[in-house]
Amino acid sequence: MEGNFQISETTNLLRKIKEFTRSIVEDLAEGKSPEIAINRFRNYCNDPEADCFCSSDEPKGREILTLRKRSQTYRIDMLLRVLLIVQQLLQENRHGSKRDIYYMHPSAFKAQSVVDRAIADICILFQCSRYNLNVVSVGNGLVMGWLKFREAGRKFDCLSSLSTAFPVPVPVEEVEDIVSLAEYILVVEKETVFQRLANDMFCKTNRCIVVTGRGYPDVSTRRFLRLLMEKLQLPVHCLVDCDPYGFEILATYRFGSMQMAYDIESLRAPEMKWLGAFPSDSEIYGVPQQCLLPLTEEDKKRTEAMLLRCYLKREMPQWRLELESMLKRGVKFEIEALSVHSLSFLSEVYIPSKIRSEGSFH
Amino acid sequence: MEEDASMKFFSDQNTSYADILPPREARARIEVSVLNLLRALNSPDPAISHLSLINRKRSNSCVNQGILTDVSYIFLSTSFTKSSLTNAKTAKAFVRVWKVMEMCFQILLQEKRVTQRELFYKLLCDSPDLFSSQVEVNRSVQDVVALLRCSRFSLGIIASTRGLVAGRLSLQEPGKEPVDCSACGSSGFPISGDLNLLDTTIMTSDARYIILVEKHAIFHRLVEDRVFNHIPCVFITAKGYPDIATRFFLHRMSNTFPHLPILALVDWNPAGLAILCTFKFGSIGMGLEAYRYACNVKWIGLRGDDLNLIPEESLVPLKAKDSQIAKSLLSSKILQENYREELSLMIETGKRAEIEALYCHGYNYLGKYIATKVVQGKYI
Repeated sequence: MEGNFQISETTNLLRKIKEFTRSIVEDLAEGKSPEIAINRFRNYCNDPEADCFCSSDEPKGREILTLRKRSQTYRIDMLLRVLLIVQQLLQENRHGSKRDIYYMHPSAFKAQSVVDRAIADICILFQCSRYNLNVVSVGNGLVMGWLKFREAGRKFDCLSSLSTAFPVPVPVEEVEDIVSLAEYILVVEKETVFQRLANDMFCKTNRCIVVTGRGYPDVSTRRFLRLLMEKLQLPVHCLVDCDPYGFEILATYRFGSMQMAYDIESLRAPEMKWLGAFPSDSEIYGVPQQCLLPLTEEDKKRTEAMLLRCYLKREMPQWRLELESMLKRGVKFEIEALSVHSLSFLSEVYIPSKIRSEGSFH
Repeated sequence: MEEDASMKFFSDQNTSYADILPPREARARIEVSVLNLLRALNSPDPAISHLSLINRKRSNSCVNQGILTDVSYIFLSTSFTKSSLTNAKTAKAFVRVWKVMEMCFQILLQEKRVTQRELFYKLLCDSPDLFSSQVEVNRSVQDVVALLRCSRFSLGIIASTRGLVAGRLSLQEPGKEPVDCSACGSSGFPISGDLNLLDTTIMTSDARYIILVEKHAIFHRLVEDRVFNHIPCVFITAKGYPDIATRFFLHRMSNTFPHLPILALVDWNPAGLAILCTFKFGSIGMGLEAYRYACNVKWIGLRGDDLNLIPEESLVPLKAKDSQIAKSLLSSKILQENYREELSLMIETGKRAEIEALYCHGYNYLGKYIATKVVQGKYI
């Protein structure tokens, strides 16, 4: 049934593309400039009172592109060129990445960023996600644990091999038959932490699903996580390093990214909890002094910029307090620092105790 | 993995290599090192003996040109560097080696494994005045490998799983169901970092070629388009610079299916060629382990004679790093003449190109390109 739904979505989109193009041609035939309205989206701002509409997914303003301004003409030109390629992809039921599209006409596009902008414009214009345009990139995420599902006919039986890493599937819309007996989902920032948990056979003694984006999470990892959350209705805990980069990753999972603000609904994980590591954990769990590395100037600037984000003030004041504490202490540390005294500390003590005692912040 | 010493030819006896050992034997070698040190201290003429590490510089690297076989490789010979406590330059490095051995011993005793990052933090806490960066830890680990002549994996250090495989291949781990690598979706099947597991996996295939792909994105495109059904083949990628596990896997495939040519699809730039050469010959940096996984890899694309297929705009200037890599490759003793010509062309024109440049002909062009080259035997 899902296959049919997708086919009709594609047909729908192709129809919309035809209509859009027709309206432009009609405008031109009448001698007037087409007016293309592109909504503006953002998922946060730096309003000190947090008295803004960022929490709503509605657009925050609009630009109207016309042929009367040269820079806008260029943008319309690029949009139409990319749209032509997207139409081909949809008609032939093939997929391409943003990079592939750039390489089809490098002389016209001149830079990858031009293609990226055109794709964002098209998604906003047709109110769809990137994958609806058949524009996808290779995935980087891994998953393991108490989970079974199917993707395009292939069975992923993570349950049969609890410590084996499976790649997160890229065409998330083709994931079906999700079955799980897990009690929660654990998202970890780094591949090395994922490896540590696999090596300790964490999923044998803890009934959960572990996901990693291997750093900054890509779109397919975020969509997959969102899908698991919707289908399984399980609590989600996030484990990142206690540093600005780790926090940025946590915020991306939870609140989405500015770049993909137009598609925020399917990409964020609301109610994701921050399991750790908190600045206060360094004292509670006895992280040795040598493992606390000083914040660089770059780190401090980043943290200060993040503290200005309205969603922290409005929705997660506790997270904000911890971030301020990190800035005040002037130090950061990685997850591995917690395992210095015992390699299995993370799997046997830290994570289970935090989850049991609800020590992670909502 | 056992090699009968009496069957080695003269040149082979000059090869230094790192064994892959079970934890017990790795611990035993550490214990032997400690005993040797104690014995020297306890002797009538007490001294702190120096450590003899296999020299990991270019000066100690040799080339084994395959004459009877067509596999050539780089290996490290038997020249040693001395690391001793009494020499101011090597004193710290000397102590670091012992520290790393102590740490690895404890980890092996607990029957655990550790990531390089965790090892760094443990050493940082234990001896902050000796270790201040990950680089120092990595170097000391390689020193231990050079001293004990055992692989990093044997010391209990977890290797990352970078490689992917897809295509007309079936893999069966002992005691498990066989996995069909042509039904892996578009992501391919991950190659395990556990070398013991890779060694015991049963492989069956009806492919006619093994195709190495440099980049993940290209691998993904080829697998999604099911190109392995048009050209009966198996695709392997290490997503960039090859790691030991992927090379091990390729080598095993090569041994299991010796009649299958191995073809490499890399970008037309010095870095791409360097990746091909690492699969083909091994590397000096990992010289004690890497040599045994050398394979007869041939270069199918992207090559100089393909440049007429790509638009002018896709030829971009070489970066400074590219020039460095090119220089390093050209000075290597092992690089064959036709590869040198390609490198010279890159340097002369000052340009490089990525495989994606072929997409200007349409995205299914890549499959046709490979098929044409394979059928016409156009690989070097």
